[in-house]
Amino acid sequence: METTTIEGGGGMKYRLFGILLFLLFLAWTTLDGLVEGDWGRLEGGLSNLAVFFEESMWPPNWSVLEARSYPVCEQDIEFFCSVGYLGMMETLKIAFVSTILGFVGAISLSSLAARNLMPLYISLPVRIFLSAVRSLPSLIWAILFVIVIGFGPLSGVLAMTFYTVGYLGKLQYEVFEGMPNDPLEAGRAMGLHRSSILLNIVIPENSNHLLSQLMFMFEYNVRHGTVIGIVGAGGIGYYIHTYLKFLQYDKVFALLIIIFVVVVLIDLLSLAIRSFVNEEGDVRKPTWLNMLIQARKRKSLDGLAATPPQLLWPRWYR
Amino acid sequence: MSEEVILSLNGLVIGYDHPLVKPITLDVHSGEIIAILGPSGIGKTTLVRTIAGLVRPLEGSFELRVKRRGGLGYIPQRLGLVRHATVAHNVSLGARLNVGWSKTMFKERKEKTYDAIRKLGIEEKASEPVRRLSGGQQRRVATARTLAQRPQLMLADEFLGELDQTNVNIVLGAVHELVENGTAVIMIEHHEDNAFDFATRIWEIRNERFFDMSIEEWKQQQSKGEEE
Repeated sequence: METTTIEGGGGMKYRLFGILLFLLFLAWTTLDGLVEGDWGRLEGGLSNLAVFFEESMWPPNWSVLEARSYPVCEQDIEFFCSVGYLGMMETLKIAFVSTILGFVGAISLSSLAARNLMPLYISLPVRIFLSAVRSLPSLIWAILFVIVIGFGPLSGVLAMTFYTVGYLGKLQYEVFEGMPNDPLEAGRAMGLHRSSILLNIVIPENSNHLLSQLMFMFEYNVRHGTVIGIVGAGGIGYYIHTYLKFLQYDKVFALLIIIFVVVVLIDLLSLAIRSFVNEEGDVRKPTWLNMLIQARKRKSLDGLAATPPQLLWPRWYR
Repeated sequence: MSEEVILSLNGLVIGYDHPLVKPITLDVHSGEIIAILGPSGIGKTTLVRTIAGLVRPLEGSFELRVKRRGGLGYIPQRLGLVRHATVAHNVSLGARLNVGWSKTMFKERKEKTYDAIRKLGIEEKASEPVRRLSGGQQRRVATARTLAQRPQLMLADEFLGELDQTNVNIVLGAVHELVENGTAVIMIEHHEDNAFDFATRIWEIRNERFFDMSIEEWKQQQSKGEEE
């Protein structure tokens, strides 16, 4: 029997593997250069970490969820006067306000920065401005605003807002530039105004990405609320900084767990919100809970106990 | 048919880096239905995109005598719909160009939107995102958008392609309504049958040459070709 050999079919795979190996080697040699070949300092590192964790951090000190001794708690439930709750709420408030303000600022600037929406003489200066805003990390913005307007959450809000504008602005104009061209061309040919194209074509068409970025930025701002708190810009970071100063690592660990739980909750919220606009939301996959409920209903009907699994999926799925 | 000239091409040379067709000079009158025929990659889409103002002509010029806002309706090959927005939102993009500023503009816009949606038979889908619709339904949405816009010149790039006969009849019915109100239609068409039934004038691009003829002349040419 005559056989045909297709040459070069697996060449690309081997080439990619080779490139990956080369990059790993390059990273290794660079790291070796950075530590100047002195790998001895890693010895005992893991056991040091274990001792530190066991002696200082574990178990987490959940007194951070009890009412503070001062000021006196006037709430019925002590939890609402706790460092964990108050700090986290302040961080969430700072993150919420700065994400919303930053989003509005970013969307105005990113629509001016997108090359497919604006001519070069407008988009280029706006891009440079966004790069400049982004090049300062939120911590530096926070230090700047603490110097200008003093300690407190307002400095945190302003620092986060500026950073959000720079960061989100870049993500947004890249999404706008990647959108299909035909709705834009149809809008332009029809004679729609630039603002109308932005509001009625560009934003709805990219709503999934924009929502996803908005939720990511909110989560990012919550996480970074801990960092900017350290320089006195309010939030849970202020308490983390205080406990670090007094070497109360068990309390720091408890606060870090609270932050982790909140970040996971935001992620779940983001998933739920985006399901309204993404295409996956159109064909919802059945959850195990749904399948079990349906299975129980079916079992109560005679003769349907042996229904194949695919028929146990909820009706709205089929 | 009104004799008002709404588009004049004056020695227009189309193409991206090299000329695709020899210079074109002609007038288009309101109420005309022009089908552009020719093999793939010959320059039909480039011609339509040039008239839509999306591609610069290499040489020559063209004059569009239509309103700057809303005078030109354009249905690109991939329809140009906002996929994540609802059918009603997409159709309202056309309606907003047809309604001037007034106290009742929002009400009028809504009326024109739903009027066009009803005429295209997609009222049940009005609040669904376009991405959930079939290809045929999406073409009806694009046509409804143009119907709500009521442009003076409509450009359509293969918008009857892949449609079954029922959908073709619905879409052409809507286009006929526009033509009765004086809209000129320039459409790229791959199916000669549709051109035969529908168009009043044919533009054919063949071997870098442009042929402009009435439907009768084109039919004669076709029958001669078949006899030979």
